[in-house]
Amino acid sequence: MNRRPLWMMAALAVAAILAAACGGSPSSSATSTPSKGTLTVAGFNFPESSILAYIYGKSLEHDGYKINYKVNLGTREVVAPALESGQIDLYAGYAATDLEYYDKKASEATGDVTLTVQRLNNHLQSMGLVALNASAAVDQNAFAMTKANSQKYNATKLSDLAPIGNQLVLGAGPECPTRPYCQPGLKSTYGITFKDFKALDTDGPLTRAAFASNTIQVGLVFSSDGDLTKLGLVVLQDDKHLEAADNVVPIMRQQAATDEVRAVLNKVDSNLTTVDLITMNSQVSIQHQDPDAVAVAYLQQHNYFA
Amino acid sequence: MAGGVFLDYVDPWINWDWLGSHVPLVLATLWQHVELTAVAVAGGLLIALPLGVIAHRSGSLRLAVLLVFGVFYTIPSLALFAALVPYTGLSGTTAEIPLIGYNVLILVRNVLVGLDEVPKDVLDAADGMGYRPRARLLRVELPLALPSIFAGLRVAIVSTIGLVTITAVIGLGGLGALIYKGLIESFHTPLVVGLVLSIVFAVVADLGAAAAQRVAVPWARPA
Amino acid sequence: MSLLGLVWQWLTDPQHWQGSNGVPTRLVEHLHLSIESVLIGVVIALPIGIALGHYGKFGTVAINISNTGRAIPSFGLLVLAFQVFGLGDGPIILALTALAIPPMVTNSYVALREVDPDIKDAARGMGYRELAQVLRVELPLAVPLIMAGVRTSALQVVATATLAAFVAGGGLGRYIVDGYATQVYEEMVAGAILVAGLALATELVLAVLQRALVPRGLRLLRAPTTRRAAVFKVA
Repeated sequence: MNRRPLWMMAALAVAAILAAACGGSPSSSATSTPSKGTLTVAGFNFPESSILAYIYGKSLEHDGYKINYKVNLGTREVVAPALESGQIDLYAGYAATDLEYYDKKASEATGDVTLTVQRLNNHLQSMGLVALNASAAVDQNAFAMTKANSQKYNATKLSDLAPIGNQLVLGAGPECPTRPYCQPGLKSTYGITFKDFKALDTDGPLTRAAFASNTIQVGLVFSSDGDLTKLGLVVLQDDKHLEAADNVVPIMRQQAATDEVRAVLNKVDSNLTTVDLITMNSQVSIQHQDPDAVAVAYLQQHNYFA
Repeated sequence: MAGGVFLDYVDPWINWDWLGSHVPLVLATLWQHVELTAVAVAGGLLIALPLGVIAHRSGSLRLAVLLVFGVFYTIPSLALFAALVPYTGLSGTTAEIPLIGYNVLILVRNVLVGLDEVPKDVLDAADGMGYRPRARLLRVELPLALPSIFAGLRVAIVSTIGLVTITAVIGLGGLGALIYKGLIESFHTPLVVGLVLSIVFAVVADLGAAAAQRVAVPWARPA
Repeated sequence: MSLLGLVWQWLTDPQHWQGSNGVPTRLVEHLHLSIESVLIGVVIALPIGIALGHYGKFGTVAINISNTGRAIPSFGLLVLAFQVFGLGDGPIILALTALAIPPMVTNSYVALREVDPDIKDAARGMGYRELAQVLRVELPLAVPLIMAGVRTSALQVVATATLAAFVAGGGLGRYIVDGYATQVYEEMVAGAILVAGLALATELVLAVLQRALVPRGLRLLRAPTTRRAAVFKVA
């Protein structure tokens, strides 16, 4: 009997495993230049978060750090535990929504960003985390309707929806029914009870497709989206101020938050505006430019690489 | 088309400019896909071979192995990947545990069938010639079971390549990351590229396994 | 409380058994997607496979189509269907049907090819015309293998339908996707258990159906079909 086949199979198997093990992860390229350390920056699963992750990451790279990126990681419910367990070191948070997550829905967030960040840090402190300086750039949850529906239901602000909630379907990411600034907030602050909720994505193509096919009449969008007008969507005014200060703020592990890292990130934040967000979002969502290219272009424009 | 309805910028199905400037990204996802597949298939084989041999001798162990791995097999991969994240993190390990588990079932079944099909006369002849049990296994039974094992390998390889794309949800995905990127960003090109390359990879891997079988088992035609 | 305890709690909570996100609704959605896809697949695939097998034409294509079909990642196909046709059940069913067709074509083709040529000769000799021969002589003999193909397709479709949740589809996959997004693990595990249960139930029902369809004489022969129908994992 031929012994060859068995040895060949075994050799193939071993070779495969060795190749896989020695191949290493494609995201960690070996560089021989000494760096100040390695940080892992993560983003939520929507383009703006990727842009912010690259803005933070690239500015830190310019300063001599090695950065691993984990963009499109998931919702906050996925990203925050990853930060707590040390799998990632930093993500770009939104002050009020992050406070709502970490304060276990105690509704501590306010329209005052300084106070909100302070309260956020109170909670982060004991977890070994810290929030740095918030930027002026804001991205809040916003609820939109198509222009046609807005005219049909005569709705321009959220309080207009209260009497007609039971005719409308709300669409958002699956986390919406449990987020105080989302469906529960609409109920408690505005008294809106929707006919149904459809779990789609967090301000992504599924939500937009649902608007177009009128599968949903009200949907969650972000106030800094770059393509709302193009899509014929109208944001309903938050007249009772359900949404609080959702300023962009870096949230990271205290261990990684050295003075130098803080200086770099705070400098970036001090120049970031909401208009910047809207512009960069439209470059990614409409022109399909890469988030990292858009981030680098932004940093170059503002002379960070000088 | 869904894209065209919304945007003035009409999205072609393949934007060659984007593709040209993103070759490193595509290659990186392809490599990750190859890695994840290789480890899953090799891991499955390394477990299934000895397990199959041992289970072949014992009727009750055979039943237990097929039952346990069989039930595991019915669990949707998405659920397993997601459920493992809190324990093994967003890592290759989380992807590999279910993938290897599925391959063990596929391969163990084929190892068992292959060993089952060894004609009794051949076994008797081998015993008559003086082969001791281990030698009989390595030199007679397993080689004769190879066609069945290779058939299982081909199924395992193609199946794994498809399942790897689903790991995009936990931050991996191989070529599935391109598909996921296409979905989230309403962008056709990475979706098409990811889909086409996955299919090509699967077809090439399947043909490669068939060729390997022809080399290793010249007396049996691949199915 | 342990995860299993939480899962049990989730499954026994009456809240989760009513409303648009309740188990009955999601189960019906899942079944709707699966059954429609398999039925449409059967209507398309079986005639093609049977015809090709009867006449012995395009054998290589028929046999290899299931290999190529298996090479298509189900996740990618669902996303493609969404990007081409938009939201809704239609595109999802289209993608699932596309996945269901290849195994049934191959199995039907092989099933018809394997009918003993002597039997076909005898039938022709007895005066059966073409269609009657196929329907009354060849098909009953081919049922075991054809049903094996249908079972393979059905299981693949039920598993892949869980991915429909990624393109805003309904079905039991919603619990897995939503549970993961909100990190409510008991919801996710409950969803996994429900889908696994549905898969097992599908297998059982189709096994019973196969028994009912296979002619008694053939059943007594106990043709070894299980080996051919290697259930292929796509999702």
